[in-house]
Amino acid sequence: MKKRVFTISLSLILLAVFILNNFMGQRITIAGSWNNLVIFTFDSLLPPDWSVAQSEECGFFCSDAWLGMWETLKIAFVATVFGFIFAILISVFAASNLSPLWVSLIARAVLAAMRTIPSIIWATIFLVAIGLGPVAGIMAMTFYTIGYLGKLQYEAIEGMETAPLEAAKAMGMRRHEAAIFVAVPEVANNLLSQLIFMFEYNVRHGTVLGLVGAGGIGLTISNSLNSLQYDRVTALLIVIFVVVLIIEGISMVARSFVTEEGDVKRPSWFTIFHSPNQAVRIHHFDDESE
Amino acid sequence: MTMMPLLQMTNLSIGYDKTLVSNVNLEVGRGEVIAVLGPSGLGKTTLLRTIAGLVTPLEGEVILNVNRRGGLGYIPQRLGLVRHTSVWTNVGLGAMVSGLNRLQREEIIAESIIKMGLEDKIKEPVRRLSGGQQRRVATARTLAQSPPLILADEFLGELDDDNVELVMASVLELVKKGSTLIMVEHHEERAIEFADRIWRIVDGKLVEE
Ligand SMILES: Nc1ncnc2c1ncn2[C@@H]1O[C@H](COP(=O)(O)OP(=O)(O)OP(=O)(O)O)[C@@H](O)[C@H]1O
Ligand SMILES: [Mg+2]
Repeated sequence: MKKRVFTISLSLILLAVFILNNFMGQRITIAGSWNNLVIFTFDSLLPPDWSVAQSEECGFFCSDAWLGMWETLKIAFVATVFGFIFAILISVFAASNLSPLWVSLIARAVLAAMRTIPSIIWATIFLVAIGLGPVAGIMAMTFYTIGYLGKLQYEAIEGMETAPLEAAKAMGMRRHEAAIFVAVPEVANNLLSQLIFMFEYNVRHGTVLGLVGAGGIGLTISNSLNSLQYDRVTALLIVIFVVVLIIEGISMVARSFVTEEGDVKRPSWFTIFHSPNQAVRIHHFDDESE
Repeated sequence: MTMMPLLQMTNLSIGYDKTLVSNVNLEVGRGEVIAVLGPSGLGKTTLLRTIAGLVTPLEGEVILNVNRRGGLGYIPQRLGLVRHTSVWTNVGLGAMVSGLNRLQREEIIAESIIKMGLEDKIKEPVRRLSGGQQRRVATARTLAQSPPLILADEFLGELDDDNVELVMASVLELVKKGSTLIMVEHHEERAIEFADRIWRIVDGKLVEE
């Protein structure tokens, strides 16, 4: 058994090296590019031009960077909420333990199609349809959110214990009742942490959509790129990085509320930095003193 | 008019890829208590699941004379509770299929919870209850449903004598009103104490004693 795992792992690694090697063979013009990179970095990218994060009227909070970032956050929020709602509707049909095979195959095909079309293409489609701006970004982001979240959700539902659904079916509960009152609450913890993850992902991804004109801070970046002001781009990327770090922190706290047992109450700020084992010990200690 | 039996099994063979029990020919009427006995892994759960329509018979058929909605109550071996919702919501699932109106449903949910002695756990998520308490929630769910046919898979499980008493008293109340209980049990004494009929799986046959 162990030997087989080893053989498979080794073959996968060798295959990857082989494919990479083929790519490298196609162009070996790396010589000289290191110098270019150094020049580009120190002449164009650095130092960051912080004028993008300042404004005459009210400092940072009226700056291009923040206005763009704020729009990206709003786009991501709206798209995640709507994407979640549609995804849960479709995933209930896609889960093979809730729906007949043919229904679940169709629902899966729909979700797969939404995932197959890259978000950039979705954005382009909606830009053509409704013009430049955040609404196109929201639509594009909603669509791939449905595709991704839907898949995560139906896999969570399919992974649930069979007994609750069997009891529901034997009792004669209708399919939608079993979905709403048994399956979804049973996997609610998973759904919640997927939702938080998706929001995080959408904020990061919002910058990419902005590049094609679908609003948000990506649009600000795109403008700077087009006018070759790379030092402004650096400053904008740093702003995004900080915001992503902040969201990461918030989502770590939020997710610590939804452990599988769901019983860890009021995690303190520092427990998120412990390993699960340590955190459990700390919370048990709290419980005893209650 | 002849009374149709509640449950009729004709030439029934059950199993998954291999046959576990073959050629079952049995009838069940109203108001009976039947215990299914037999060593582990021989197909007791499979028999209940086949009756419940969750497994297709390999041969023969199961004829159930109950409503498709709410006519059959099933307490799986692993109880099948929704762990993240409250006791009230779980018991409410039974009432949901009972065909009662809203007021009657709330009444019977409360009544069932009280009968199972869980009134101080009403809002508690099921995952926080002990094993025995969870068993009583599953029983309360079936009480709230009050189905004509109850299939219970080792639902007395690790309950202590007092709780077996409590649970069985309420279920037998339903039986007195005409419901039938088919229970898988591995405690021979309990089976003999409560059941009118005993079915035992021996050598791939279901034998009535
Ligand atoms: N879904 C399934 N698919 C295939 N085989 C199964 C499935 N469920 C159970 N079996 C097999 O069928 C046999 C009978 O299982 P069953 O659960 O009916 O036994 P049981 O009599 O209820 O045992 P226990 O007293 O331990 O609960 C076992 O050998 C088991 O491995
Ligand atoms: Mg069993």
